[in-house]
Amino acid sequence: MKKIKLYIPVFLLVLTVIACKIDNYPATDAQLYGTFLDAETNEPVEQDIIRGSTIEFIEHGYASQTKQVMIVKNDGTYRNNLIFANTYTITPVRGNFVPTEPQEVTVKGETQLDFKVQPYIRVKDVKIEKVGTKVVATFKLQQTVINKVKKIGLYAHPEPAVGEPIRTVLADQEINTVSDPNKIYRLEIDVPSNSSNLKTGNQYFFRVGALIDAPESKFNYAKAVRLTL
Amino acid sequence: MKLFRCILLLPVLFSLSCGDVLDKQPLDKLQGENLFSNPEGVKLYMANLYYQLPIEDFTFFRQGFNWNTGDPNNGGFAPAMVTDEAVHTEFGDFIGNDDFQWWDQGYKLIRDTNILIDIIPTLSVSEDETKALVGESAFIRAYAYFALAKRYGGVPLITSVQKYEGDVESLKVPRSTEKETWDFVLKECDVAIQNLAESWPGGERRATKWVAYALKSRVALHAASLSKYGERAPISGTAVDQKLVGLDKSAAAEYYKAAIEASETLINSGKFSLYKPSPASPEEAAENYRKLFEDPNIALNEVIFIKGFARPGAGTGHNYGIWYQPNQTANGWPHPGRMNPTLDLIDAYESYTDPGKSAPVMTTEAGNDINDYNGFSASKNYKRYDDPAGIYKDKDARLWATAVLPGTAWKGQKIIIQAGFIKPDGSAQLFGGEPITANGKTYYPFGAADRTQYSGFDTWGGNNTRTGVSFKKFLNEGVNVAPGWNQTVSDWADFRYAEILLIYAEAIVESGSGKIEEGAKALNDIRRRAGHTKDIPLTIDNVIRERRVELAFENKRFWDLVRRREYHTLFNNSVRHALIPVLDLRVSPAKYIFIRQTIQRLNPATFDYKQYYRYIPGVGSNGLVQNPQY
Repeated sequence: MKKIKLYIPVFLLVLTVIACKIDNYPATDAQLYGTFLDAETNEPVEQDIIRGSTIEFIEHGYASQTKQVMIVKNDGTYRNNLIFANTYTITPVRGNFVPTEPQEVTVKGETQLDFKVQPYIRVKDVKIEKVGTKVVATFKLQQTVINKVKKIGLYAHPEPAVGEPIRTVLADQEINTVSDPNKIYRLEIDVPSNSSNLKTGNQYFFRVGALIDAPESKFNYAKAVRLTL
Repeated sequence: MKLFRCILLLPVLFSLSCGDVLDKQPLDKLQGENLFSNPEGVKLYMANLYYQLPIEDFTFFRQGFNWNTGDPNNGGFAPAMVTDEAVHTEFGDFIGNDDFQWWDQGYKLIRDTNILIDIIPTLSVSEDETKALVGESAFIRAYAYFALAKRYGGVPLITSVQKYEGDVESLKVPRSTEKETWDFVLKECDVAIQNLAESWPGGERRATKWVAYALKSRVALHAASLSKYGERAPISGTAVDQKLVGLDKSAAAEYYKAAIEASETLINSGKFSLYKPSPASPEEAAENYRKLFEDPNIALNEVIFIKGFARPGAGTGHNYGIWYQPNQTANGWPHPGRMNPTLDLIDAYESYTDPGKSAPVMTTEAGNDINDYNGFSASKNYKRYDDPAGIYKDKDARLWATAVLPGTAWKGQKIIIQAGFIKPDGSAQLFGGEPITANGKTYYPFGAADRTQYSGFDTWGGNNTRTGVSFKKFLNEGVNVAPGWNQTVSDWADFRYAEILLIYAEAIVESGSGKIEEGAKALNDIRRRAGHTKDIPLTIDNVIRERRVELAFENKRFWDLVRRREYHTLFNNSVRHALIPVLDLRVSPAKYIFIRQTIQRLNPATFDYKQYYRYIPGVGSNGLVQNPQY
């Protein structure tokens, strides 16, 4: 009986010791970052942080070929600080630019990878200002493909991440034509008739965007503008 | 000598020992052969298949089917609440990735059906009975694969029982294309149609030839719409490249044709008609329509297929009666009032004064501000009413039978729905606060002093509507449901003749083929039953509006938005709306005004392209190609 009393703790101790393997897998050890750049002007291509362009990447060395996804900030930059050093197949997909080919990239340490893309539309000469009780945006469109422009819009939100997916007020217009590079487009938001979302005296961000008529395309934008109403 | 005798006995013992005395059969379970050798056993097995059928009834929620066993508490979040039909009193959820899944259960039902299908040829039953079994099992398989196809696109078509013989790989069946899957469902419908009789001798609620035609109409219209409108929401990925999701536009014509033919056969059969097709007044129409859903068994000429809820209890009753009563008639249940029909739905109902189009509720004399959802504005000249439901006068009878409107009677009580008041000084006090005294009378923010005496806008318990109306359709006015789980036993009409008429009309107008006058008649017959007297032309807008109001809350809207690829346009950072009744104390006696505004405490919702297909569970082990972007 005494022996059993001794054996049980010893047995449990042995079990405990062999049950736990120390998790000594390596942590992520690399960073990947970069910017979507307009191949022609070398300027960043404005994006949406949700429901915008995404970057798919597949890590080499595994049979599953699982696609992982990164999102892009509004200013066209992205950064992933928790990535393993390895070789990856990386493709920007479902974006606001002409589709690009997958590329094989070796990520090691701090790795910069910029994507030179051809944005579908450049939103140019943007002026957003308060005129009386209205916020008025004027802009020109320069499209780089022959497709029609489906929609243009002026979006407002209290946060700088404003865009078509993040907005509390919008003024948009289906145009469904090939745009004229010389035409000045005009959109306006009436402040009083949106009084529950646009309060006089507060600051809001306004951004102009245009959507090309292509499968899974995303909006092209100009930079957001901050206005005090 | 004695020993010798004993030795002689040994062979006897040996011979006895080799009997199968020890091969006992369990006494508490039926063996497969026994089950199927007895017609009663087949019936029993069939009952289980019907039970598993993915019927989108009172127990269908985002968690799945038959949500009335175990712990059925899901807060009463109905499928209608992820559409523009309604919102929940509390939850602001939209469609999650894990919602509306039906994979494991689907293939379980298909396997169970395949077991029966494999065994039918070996049964010793009459030829008629064999035919009926063939037809019924094809119907069940069609129903199951339809539920899979509309969720996942192309799926593995497993048509006989798979046997595990040591090789897992041989059990893995790849996905068929979406086209092949829809064609398979239609083919199964045809097998059912060819083999099923027109009725069952005892009038049992089992599949008949007509139910199979009804299913085929629904399936064909779904596939046709996907073909026609798939390009509204383009997606990309391996599953698209292999045509596992997506239908070619050219397939639309054949599917619309199939929908027209199947629904036309039902119409021409002369077996079905609308329940009380020509009411004398809108009031009568409203009462007829309400009764039709309170108990569909009174309208067997209209109802083609019923799922019964026979007795209160787990697995046999449902919970509409407790979740959706107005707060005032909760009958002791702690959390009623959870289905809140939206203004977006209310607007869709026609007005008898100006038929043929949606009649958005005009709240001001100017009538030019239906898109103003900013709330009360003192500068507006609101229409004032003595009757808290006055603003709904002239609205389609079906609205009155679908929703409990403010101030109307329900279960012998006046249902009070009031969001607050406009004080005599012209300022608004909405959604709470202290009672005030004006003109020598005390006024309460929600219309009554005690929280059991009103049904709107108080956030307490999540029991009061936040849209301005409460829910009525399907609820039984004459029955006080006990405040417990699964106590409601009203039956569910899965196929109604009205839906068949609407399928017929939609297929004709969408395909531009078929008999246009007949399609228009189908549409107007339904409207006439709702008290309309002026016919309207057959247009797609008219048909879709009619579907919205006639089939509201029958769990059709979700799939209508999916099949017509309208979900992402309707829900793009979109809010839903309320029509709040407010007591205006600026005038004496006080009158009601109504304010169109966004629903309180509800976030905007967005539907992504990828959500048109659900993700396929377990691709790591079943090896299937996943749907795009999952």
